[in-house]
Amino acid sequence: MAKYVVTGNTVSFNGTDISASVARAELVISSAEVDVTDFASGGWTEVVGGLKSGSVSLDLHADFGASGLSTLIGEAQVGTLGTVTIIAGNGTAASSTTPEYTAVCLVSSVTPVAGAVGDLSTFSVTWPTSGEITKATA
Amino acid sequence: MRTALATSLRTISGLRASEEIPDQVSPPIAVVSLNNIDYHQAFAGGLTIYRFTVRVIVGRAAERQAQRYLDAYVFPTGASSVKSAIESNRTLGGACQDLIVESMPNIGSITVNENEYLAAEFSVTIYA
Repeated sequence: MAKYVVTGNTVSFNGTDISASVARAELVISSAEVDVTDFASGGWTEVVGGLKSGSVSLDLHADFGASGLSTLIGEAQVGTLGTVTIIAGNGTAASSTTPEYTAVCLVSSVTPVAGAVGDLSTFSVTWPTSGEITKATA
Repeated sequence: MRTALATSLRTISGLRASEEIPDQVSPPIAVVSLNNIDYHQAFAGGLTIYRFTVRVIVGRAAERQAQRYLDAYVFPTGASSVKSAIESNRTLGGACQDLIVESMPNIGSITVNENEYLAAEFSVTIYA
């Protein structure tokens, strides 16, 4: 595997492949910074890692078809937990070069209606993760 | 998609349509040509954007009449409206997800086989 151009990461929501309606996917995993600076820090701040957290950001194409994305991710899902799976590296199955990340997310908001006249109807979401984010390579 | 666009254009009474650039034109005629394609607009090949130009060519032997013809073709509504005809079948019979006639950016003279015509260009964006 080498550097790669993103053309086809696989994104699923609650087990349904929504890749064809996703233009961008981003998973951020971060740690809180806990300050442990003391008199022995030599004039510098010192930090250690605290609680981990994450977020999932997706750019989505609205689709109100019977099994379209807007039915799957709509107002009914707001306030509920949903499982987002992202296979990176343009993969379709988990492997060492196409790792699969799974995160339970709080669907904190959706934007069912978006777009100016003449534009493709798209919307973006950023959801906080809940619990551990897992990584599978097989 | 070109064929489907031409089919939509043929719904305008008296207007010929060609999905390929013809060697000879017999006006009034609409000619469909592909300008550019944006691939990879979604994962899994979920969206490709095609941009077409539709040129509606009318004879300019009688200058005023030619302009009157084009007036009807470029108007956003009406039986001869090119925009209206194209957008009457926004999925092109299932060939795309949606389309829009964005604009009519240019109107002017065009020379084909050393003959001069009057033409209006329409920019069509297709999401497939």
